[in-house]
Amino acid sequence: MVRFENVGLRYGIGPEILKDVTFTLGRGSFSFLTGPSGAGKSSLLKLLFLALRPSRGLINLFGRDIASLRHAELPGLRRRIGVVFQDFKLLDHLSAYDNVALPLRAAGIRPESYRSNVKELLDWVGLIGQADMFPPVLSGGEKQRVAIARAVVAKPELLLADEPTGNVDPSLATRLLHLFQELNRFGTTVLIATHDPHLIAGGTLPVLRLEKGHLN
Amino acid sequence: MTASSILPVDAQPMRTLTLAMAVMCYLATLALGGLMLVEAAVTQWTSGMTSEVTVQLRASSGTDLRAETDKALAILLAAPGVLAAHRIDRADALKLLEPWLGHTSALEELPLPSLIAVAVDRARPPDLAALERLLLAKVQGVSIDTHARWQSQLIRTASTLRHLSLSILALIALSATALVIFATRSVLDANRGVIEILHLVGAHDGFIARAVKGRFLRSGFLAGLLGTIGGIATFAILGLIGAPAGSSTLAEASTELLLAAPSVALATYAVFLLVPVCATLLSLVTAHLAVMRQLRGA
Repeated sequence: MVRFENVGLRYGIGPEILKDVTFTLGRGSFSFLTGPSGAGKSSLLKLLFLALRPSRGLINLFGRDIASLRHAELPGLRRRIGVVFQDFKLLDHLSAYDNVALPLRAAGIRPESYRSNVKELLDWVGLIGQADMFPPVLSGGEKQRVAIARAVVAKPELLLADEPTGNVDPSLATRLLHLFQELNRFGTTVLIATHDPHLIAGGTLPVLRLEKGHLN
Repeated sequence: MTASSILPVDAQPMRTLTLAMAVMCYLATLALGGLMLVEAAVTQWTSGMTSEVTVQLRASSGTDLRAETDKALAILLAAPGVLAAHRIDRADALKLLEPWLGHTSALEELPLPSLIAVAVDRARPPDLAALERLLLAKVQGVSIDTHARWQSQLIRTASTLRHLSLSILALIALSATALVIFATRSVLDANRGVIEILHLVGAHDGFIARAVKGRFLRSGFLAGLLGTIGGIATFAILGLIGAPAGSSTLAEASTELLLAAPSVALATYAVFLLVPVCATLLSLVTAHLAVMRQLRGA
């Protein structure tokens, strides 16, 4: 599903952030991406959700070489990817409900056909009471959960999460991890970037470790 | 959640755009009204001219002017396409000179040519060239004034004014387009973060363009409506304040424009209604193209 071959990334004329990164993520796999701050985890995720193009190397996503993608093809591919951003990236002028429904709305789905799903998801992440509230009045943990709900609402084939449990208490972190695992059981490929050792503690799932731009 | 609410557009730039567009539409309405006034005046003047011809006989030594005039009258009345012909007597001819020479006793001694006013059938006009040849052959000192020179000058002036009005309309459309492009870029720049998120959740450029267009649709229509109402009000005020001033004034022409026979007035209002329609379409199409261009370049 995801294949990186000798991928390098630099911003402008700066130093290489990612160097010769090579890995594959099989369909239905569940992996962690870890490493110290500044190791390039977020940059790697940006390449995965097509916010950046690599400076060199090959990235193959869903069987497509992303170097050959046209601008008009990007939305279709992005709809197959759910992303939980570290800084949430919620729209402050939309309610929690509207933020969660945004990917469905952008895909042209009629509101009446997704209303119950969105409410169910908000209920699951414990935010049904805050459905009409706007992000500026939500706590960090609540925003995190809205962001997670938005990432999974369209049942993506690939779920990318950048520090998804950074702002929630341990019990909720466990619940969210269970949500990701449940999605994974239904076939979603999951990659979670984190430096939370408790989240990786199980030890049975593959871990991609980034250090100074190199992947181990 | 409506389509346009996806983008949190700051109200202030949109209000400024609406105001500037309303001024553009107001000027466009005035230019259109001016164009219609010119067209109406030219039509009225030329229709009067084409239905009348003047035959002039100059006095010369040894010529019986009265006899020559009678001869010319007979030829004219017999010509096909001539509805009527009558001699303009001396008193009436002197009245025609008064606007230029004033009312003075010296006019009484002025030798005047004999003038014949000829009414022609506009549906089946006479062959004026053939008629002139016939008159020149049979009558001494005769000439025909078909007003062709005045008419061509009038048509040239009207054509200049028409081109001027159309140029003003084109400049207004160009300025309005530039305004909308500028405003669209402002909206996109102010919402760079929102657009990035919309792209990341899989929104097509068309989805974002629709969200922007909604704002410009309302702005363009409102501006068009305000500008057109302002323009019509200006013509109405011109008509009202100048009503007692007499005939052939701009005031009278303005009144005619708005309160003419229902068919004429309806046509006028229909032309004026083109302004909000065009303003809305221009806003919509320009905003769409500007958004798509900017997003593709992003």
